Amino acid sequence: MTWMSLAPWVMGAGACGRSRSELPDHSVSLEGIEGEIVGPSMEAGHLLRSGGAGLPASPPEVQELDTLIVGGGIAGLTAGWRLNGEGHGDFKLLELENEVGGKSRSGRSSISPYPWGAHYLPVPSRESAIVRKILEEMGLVIGRDADGEPIYDPRHLCHAPQERLFVGNRWQPGVSLRSVAEPEDAAELAAFESRLRELRDFRDEQGRRAFALPMELSSRDPGLLALDRISMAEYLDAEGWTSPRIRWYLDYCCRDDYGCSLDETSAWAGWHYFCARPEDSEVLTWPEGNGRLVDFLRRALGNRIETSTLVYRVRSAGDGGERVSVDTLNLKTQVTTRFRCRRLIYALPRFTAPYVIEGFDRSLSRSFTYAPWLVANLTVDGRRRPSQNQGYFSSQTAWDNVLYDSRSLGYVVATHQNLSAYPGATVLTYYLPFVDLDPVSARTRLQQASWSELAASVLGDLAQAHPDLVKRVDRIDLMRWGHAMIRPVPGFIWGSDRRHDGLEEKFPGILFAHSDMSGLSLFEEASYRGAVAADRVLSC
Amino acid sequence: MEANPTDPVGRSGTPSPAGGQVATPENGVFARALLISVFVIATCGLIYELLAGTIASYLLGDSVTQFSTIIGVYLFAMGVGSWLSRFVLRELVTMFVRIEILVGLVGGLTSPVLFLAFAEVSAFRVILYGWVTLTGILVGLEIPLLMRILEHELPFADLVSRVLSLDYLGALAASLLFPLWLVPRLGLMRSSFLFGVLNLLVAVATCHLFADRLAARRRVTAQAWGALVLLLLGLMSSERLMSFAEQRLYDQPVIYADSSPYQRLVITRKLDEVRLFLDGNLQFSSRDEYRYHEALVHPAMTYFEQPRTNVLVLGGGDGFAVREILRYPSVERVVLVDLDPLMVKVFRDHDELSGLNGFALRDPRVEVVHQDAFIWLDRLDEQFDLVIVDFPDPRNFSLGKLYSTTFYQRLTAALRPGAVVAVQSTSPLHTREAFWCVNKTLKTVGFHTLPYHATVPSFGKWGFILAAAQPLDVAVFQAEAAGRLPQGLKYLAPGLLPGLFLFPPDMGPVDVDENRLNNQAVVEYHERGWKATPPT
Ligand SMILES: Cc1cc2nc3c(=O)[nH]c(=O)nc-3n(C[C@H](O)[C@H](O)[C@H](O)COP(=O)(O)OP(=O)(O)OC[C@H]3O[C@@H](n4cnc5c(N)ncnc54)[C@H](O)[C@@H]3O)c2cc1C
Repeated sequence: MTWMSLAPWVMGAGACGRSRSELPDHSVSLEGIEGEIVGPSMEAGHLLRSGGAGLPASPPEVQELDTLIVGGGIAGLTAGWRLNGEGHGDFKLLELENEVGGKSRSGRSSISPYPWGAHYLPVPSRESAIVRKILEEMGLVIGRDADGEPIYDPRHLCHAPQERLFVGNRWQPGVSLRSVAEPEDAAELAAFESRLRELRDFRDEQGRRAFALPMELSSRDPGLLALDRISMAEYLDAEGWTSPRIRWYLDYCCRDDYGCSLDETSAWAGWHYFCARPEDSEVLTWPEGNGRLVDFLRRALGNRIETSTLVYRVRSAGDGGERVSVDTLNLKTQVTTRFRCRRLIYALPRFTAPYVIEGFDRSLSRSFTYAPWLVANLTVDGRRRPSQNQGYFSSQTAWDNVLYDSRSLGYVVATHQNLSAYPGATVLTYYLPFVDLDPVSARTRLQQASWSELAASVLGDLAQAHPDLVKRVDRIDLMRWGHAMIRPVPGFIWGSDRRHDGLEEKFPGILFAHSDMSGLSLFEEASYRGAVAADRVLSC
Repeated sequence: MEANPTDPVGRSGTPSPAGGQVATPENGVFARALLISVFVIATCGLIYELLAGTIASYLLGDSVTQFSTIIGVYLFAMGVGSWLSRFVLRELVTMFVRIEILVGLVGGLTSPVLFLAFAEVSAFRVILYGWVTLTGILVGLEIPLLMRILEHELPFADLVSRVLSLDYLGALAASLLFPLWLVPRLGLMRSSFLFGVLNLLVAVATCHLFADRLAARRRVTAQAWGALVLLLLGLMSSERLMSFAEQRLYDQPVIYADSSPYQRLVITRKLDEVRLFLDGNLQFSSRDEYRYHEALVHPAMTYFEQPRTNVLVLGGGDGFAVREILRYPSVERVVLVDLDPLMVKVFRDHDELSGLNGFALRDPRVEVVHQDAFIWLDRLDEQFDLVIVDFPDPRNFSLGKLYSTTFYQRLTAALRPGAVVAVQSTSPLHTREAFWCVNKTLKTVGFHTLPYHATVPSFGKWGFILAAAQPLDVAVFQAEAAGRLPQGLKYLAPGLLPGLFLFPPDMGPVDVDENRLNNQAVVEYHERGWKATPPT
């Protein structure tokens, strides 16, 4: 035998896993693995873009009500929860998909529920009053500490070990600046941390923090807002911070929270990630991710929710005291209905507005750009004995498992929060934001890829850390999010388009509510926008 | 250095074969036979490596590391072998046969040697990599030698192409055979011998077909045959060797071995000592288990004057704790929660083994529940006046959850007023931090505690914690509690009790964090402790 006959062994899967571009080609045999691509509905999108071709200009069925919420994501649901909580009963919520939740939706396999999008919520800071109230109503607060701050039930805080990083062919605990930094990065690390402390401790004259959650409560100090005009990469260049490891970590954070690379994330958004939350804050998570939060809100709304309902035309209230009219198509029954309401809470992403709201000029939403994401749920080890899994996808695996040499964000483990001493089979949720192509080409690329191409790419990427995963996967289910996250590119967050002064005067009766109005795709922002809209309904 | 123009081969380290051995092209059988042997030895070579990798992963875990390091060492050793081939100057065919004999023996003995080494030798890794290196060097010698032997039989281009393609073909055969047929059908032990035999068949065949090219023909042939017989004997007794190896791992005769979905259960016996191993970890030795179980159960049973009637036992499917509990006539009901039905099956239905716990699990007062303890407890709406918590040590994050504030918090809801809890809390001597961490965790959720310890020779110093909603006082054990001890105990003498609650300085309290689900401090303490003082 010669060494050459071993070459494929030595280089094997590891070598192809090193690829640095999204959706790298992988030839992986998918034999015996089942799965499918699930929503969100494409036909509905096409219907809208075609201008509702074939749908009645004036549906015969008409319903009157005080308030209508369209969009059952976190923003819409929070608006409904708020109205309900304040005793405002005359409203409905319409949702396109057959389930509410939007990007916080969850699914379930034979092994465990799992997230399709949002999967965690950091313990909310003082400013996130709405989120705190929701968590308290859910019964997650078991007491208060000496400062009166809520203590959350440790069952729902992410259990240890929280994170680990696959680098240099092995797993190391933790994913943080400190865990990736090498001794030669010490000076940069110290400089970064001292800047971080400065920004975190900053208070302006009104006592506002530099970066708050919700972001509307942040300081308007011009020096800080100027950060929004450059990218995080430019910021690092200007500081002379060049360590590839520190940059990797910051880039990872931007990809993780915003679906943007360092070059495309505004420095304001970049710092916001680090400063808006208390130091070392923990995260709340569940097997189904933020699906748990969706479920609570959904239940609070009860039968006021109508799903499988496409909103295809909205006409704002005219001057003559008419009401807002909302034309909808029930995708199951194909029945069209016109709702007439005093107030409409428009909890859909802004890019839909030109297709849905009459008179909404495309230029008003042009600067809203969205990163596409692929989410894969891998059902693993369903056929194995639990004892064989000890130490693999269970007892030694962290909740969040990140790969240094990958454009993906790695995976989270759905059964991590289980209390079982023998966790056994599990579901891994894999996230891949498309940050290297421009969003439009990336979206096309994602839409055109087949299940097998995507599944092979996922397995190929994970093979660098788990060469035998391909043999242990039973199912791979995929979600293609075309417009997953609003991109906080330089200039967007503090530019005029996002703020849209005067938009609501232009479209009387319509209140906008969606996380993209904050430029940050976060639960805290979505719920804040929803609650603010509900409060406007209640106050006038 | 000056080149010798008359000996270009010598310059390249490949001197021409000695006279008399030079093959003449008329002998085509020779070349063909050797080419076939290329295929065979290539297959064998890869199989040995796969065997070493698989056994190392099996015994040491972490297959990625094991396979990578073994492949690396093996390749390197092959390089060394190829390089060494330059020093073989004469008698190429004889040398080839000798190498085949050695490859056959060394490779063929891979499985028995590694399994036994793991059981017997503390420096297992030295043996492992040593063996892999040796095999690699020998295998590395094979192809260069063969190519030189064939040098004069075939044109060079033809030679290289044939030898290398057969080499790769052999590797392919090995990599397909190994997972598909060898491991599942033959097992590691038999495969190892089988391929050793193949190498030796090549040696024997060479001896007989090409006797005229051999120096010291008789001796070499005899050696080849001798080695072949040896390996055939090994092949025939593979089964026995495998169970012998398992015996060695457990160092006493195995009387029962079975796997449940959750763990591998092995019971050994030597004279009258019976031992239970779960996944290779010692759970008890019948020689001193009573010390552990008396210490676990009786302080809790006797602390209060009010007799205990309803008892919950979490973990402890071996039934020993239940045996101690049933010594009290006041007990009306014992609920035993153990995930693994196999444990209970063995210790209730197996006549001899259930004798060890005095047939406690057949007692009508005992109800057995097979569920994950935390999940069961979470849904429980019954209350008990005594709870025995006897889980495996918190040696991983899954087990660490059973020692968390959340778990103990939930446990409080299962307690009647005046209830007592006893918790096995690992060794305060070996893993002092882990022990005091359990104590701190219980206190964090509001328990009052009394830590104590006992000497269990099989384990060393072992620790337990008594916990209750009201303050506990050691003085009780100086007086009334001792009088409530049942008859027939072998360890807990009344006068001994108070001493168990005294901690010498080397086991005394240390400042530690409580164990929460979101920090799993106890797992880290436990690991640190056992790393510093590994179990004997
Ligand atoms: C992969 C991924 C991971 C994420 N992870 C996290 C995380 O861990 N933590 C976190 O805080 N955030 C995360 N996010 C951000 C997440 O988007 C927000 O937390 C939140 O779910 C946004 O809610 P929303 O209500 O603003 O928007 P959406 O979720 O976009 O809600 C809009 C709703 O409107 C519906 N709709 C659209 N068009 C129509 C129509 N024409 N008619 C009727 N209904 C329509 C949609 O179906 C959807 O339900 C993640 C996002 C993605 C994509």
